[in-house]
Amino acid sequence: MLKDISLGRFYPAESPLHRMDPRAKILATLVLMVLVFLANNVWSFVAYGLFSAFCIALSRVPPIHVFKSLKPILFLIVFAFLLNVFSGKGDAIFTIGPVSATWEGLWTGLRMAARLILLITTSSLLTLTTTPILVADAMERMMKPLQKIGFPAHEMAMMMSIALRFVPTLVEETDKIMKAQSSRGADYDTGGILRRARGLVSVLVPLFIGSFRRADELAVAMEARCYRGGEGRTRLRVMKTAGRDYAAFAVVLAFLQGSQPFWDYVFIPLLGAGMGLASRVISLSDGFEAQGGMVEDAVATGSETYCQPAAGKR
Amino acid sequence: MPDFITVQDAVFEYLRPESTPVRAVDHVDLSVAQGSHVAVLGRNGSGKSTLARLINALELPLEGTVVVAGFDSQAEGSAWEIRQRCGMVFQNPDNQIVGTTVEEDVAFGPENLGVPQPEIRRAVDEALAAVGLSEYAVRPPHLLSGGQKQKLAIAGILAMKPRCILLDEATSMLDPVSRRDFMDMVIDRVRRDGITLVNITHHMEEAVLAEDVVVLSQGRVVAHGTPADVFEAVAEIRAEGLDVPAHMEIAHRLAESLGATLVHGETETPAKAVDAVIRVLAESKADRSERFSSETAASAAAVTIDATHILSAVQKLAFTYLKGTPFSNRALEEVSFQVRRGEILGIVGHSGSGKSTLVQHLNGLLRSAPGVVTVLGLDASRGGDIRAIRQKVGLLFQYPEHQLFEETVRGDIAFGPRRMGLPEEEVEARVLEAAKIVGIAEADLDRSPFELSGGQKRRAAIAGILSMRPEVLILDEPAAGLDPAGRDEILSYVSSLRDHGATLVLVSHSMEDVARLADRVLMLDHGRVAAFGDTRDVFSDEATLERAGLSLPASTAFLKRLALHLPGLDTARFTAAAAATAVLAAAGAAPANGNGGAAC
Repeated sequence: MLKDISLGRFYPAESPLHRMDPRAKILATLVLMVLVFLANNVWSFVAYGLFSAFCIALSRVPPIHVFKSLKPILFLIVFAFLLNVFSGKGDAIFTIGPVSATWEGLWTGLRMAARLILLITTSSLLTLTTTPILVADAMERMMKPLQKIGFPAHEMAMMMSIALRFVPTLVEETDKIMKAQSSRGADYDTGGILRRARGLVSVLVPLFIGSFRRADELAVAMEARCYRGGEGRTRLRVMKTAGRDYAAFAVVLAFLQGSQPFWDYVFIPLLGAGMGLASRVISLSDGFEAQGGMVEDAVATGSETYCQPAAGKR
Repeated sequence: MPDFITVQDAVFEYLRPESTPVRAVDHVDLSVAQGSHVAVLGRNGSGKSTLARLINALELPLEGTVVVAGFDSQAEGSAWEIRQRCGMVFQNPDNQIVGTTVEEDVAFGPENLGVPQPEIRRAVDEALAAVGLSEYAVRPPHLLSGGQKQKLAIAGILAMKPRCILLDEATSMLDPVSRRDFMDMVIDRVRRDGITLVNITHHMEEAVLAEDVVVLSQGRVVAHGTPADVFEAVAEIRAEGLDVPAHMEIAHRLAESLGATLVHGETETPAKAVDAVIRVLAESKADRSERFSSETAASAAAVTIDATHILSAVQKLAFTYLKGTPFSNRALEEVSFQVRRGEILGIVGHSGSGKSTLVQHLNGLLRSAPGVVTVLGLDASRGGDIRAIRQKVGLLFQYPEHQLFEETVRGDIAFGPRRMGLPEEEVEARVLEAAKIVGIAEADLDRSPFELSGGQKRRAAIAGILSMRPEVLILDEPAAGLDPAGRDEILSYVSSLRDHGATLVLVSHSMEDVARLADRVLMLDHGRVAAFGDTRDVFSDEATLERAGLSLPASTAFLKRLALHLPGLDTARFTAAAAATAVLAAAGAAPANGNGGAAC
């Protein structure tokens, strides 16, 4: 049940997709997601589908795991499909009461469903092949230029990775609390909306209070491990954009151009090229090839008084 | 050897809104030599965790000084210096893991210190190898067991190359086997690297491993010395609400009832204690009388259980988690047993042996084919009336206080009866009755459950199940995380519930607790029944226990050693008092043999 949520669940494997620079992967994913919305003829969907299948095969993630991520939105997909089938104009295929299904509606519905499915598979392929902390790291590094204008890039990334770290823990806790309250007669499956909402309180309150307790304890534990913000921190994982990352990105771009009628969407390759450029700029500005700079950073920020206010707070 | 930690006349108070501050540490002096191993014992709330926080500069003393590795914790910037050299492991394994994979979590500390990348890599790999988690390096931490999570926490500290490790009740959420395994690993490590170890705990079996034991009570040091020094004052330690190693307690009780005195250090180890007991028995040979044997007879089986009245039967139950996925995990296989009306059935097994999965079948939280589960004539395995079953079978999960949610204690206890659709007067009567059983004062009923102390919260949560007046009550580790006195208190409520007509199923890691309370025991091993029978039979079979990854109750283990010298000694005694009585009885029954053997 609750444990089936596969969003944000990393699938460990050795594959080219796992090894790819997460920044290139995020950018490629973004490009592909944009592409999904621009695709509008049968061939572009077929091409996209084949490309997704190729990526899945390349990632060595069992396809079942990729498709599992569709489960939570299955309802939405079916709903969007049906809505479109019955709201299109044109000749009716068949009629039920006041509504009738049309060929045009069927095509729109299929397109909508295909978009949603491809969107989810693409994004879950990213999270399945990249540990959440790497995603957070990559985002931090991609947002780094924004730090100059006061954007808290490190804090955002830290928050994101801690949130991701605690999702499975809280899912397990929710499961446990629901079982405990069920043992006391709570019923989450039957009754009217009010009754169900009331039932939810008995889950949410303990979950909320538990999260606060965890947050408190985690904060102390982080302090005890000398955490004092992003300054002077080094990283276990170094991000290096290798030749194959550019190659991968180029494939995505080539695919982008190949699968679309070029003259219809001149701006897509431009967009892709822009993103490729941005990726290049970020990886250079990061200076991770030059590790010396990082060490100097660390030395420069040596022993600060960062720990002090927290220690003296009471 | 120079002192690594010096606490001088330290005072610390917690401020409370609209109330006088609570003094958690009250003029404590303590010095810990570089490379030594000190255990700090004390009940919950004795100030031992606050002391740890003072040492790690997470709190600063109100009065007095704390100097660690030459840094005064109150000096500017020294907190950072102290924490680099002194790592701390906390109680809850989940709430100290930051990384989303094992190795990323280990790297967190060195990253904060600004260690260059190639060195972090080396430090992480070394630390993971040291705690034996290398093969889990890229695993997400939530897939580790509790014991492995605490090892991960230690690895995170080792990677920072510390000179001191503080364990703040680091093992209190672990089962006995993982606890021993964890402590063995830590002690081996600190000895090898000359790391100072301060272990804050309420487990005496850990304290005896230390060179120095400090006992705190209400923020003050009340005892300090070697483990032998401290624990020989059996009565004082008991009065502090702490446990004493079984061999020491039995030997001292015996000596006391014979009017003999024990020499200092004579009961330090179980082997020495055996010799001490033999000596005391031999000396007091003349005083021995027949009265002891009659006492033992009286203590056996005060409650009669109708063996033919089967309340619940489980037949060939099997269960697999995540069936049909690569993560599929067989939790139960071919499990069959019966619960008799009015008995206390203990369920024991190592972590992951299927205990929790099994009890969730008893009230229909989990249902599975194959297998049949009947409870009070109702079918809990398929189709049956789940509402009716849940009303008759109460299930109390581990740490039940985490499930409190109502605005008042009264409201929380009333939740179950209200869901049963009882009239309001009846609900009120049941709330009062349940509160009375667990000892919650009426005045506390209108307070928020979150204002209560830890022990009180747990009692309120237990009352929330009792108010449904279940015919069967299943308790999953009711004493988990409590100190010894809190544990004894909860367990005494549990055994008193039987007088209220309930049948109890007690799931526990603690062989001692189960041995003391249960009439019969079901032992699980990897989802299969390893043994099922009377408590004394199950806990006499050392070979089967060991195969299932469990150990003998401590008192039985000691009595088995003694039995080599005292033939006819009944080793199935699970409290120090009962054990002492059994020794006297055996010595009285076989004087020639017993004491003749003792000479050699």
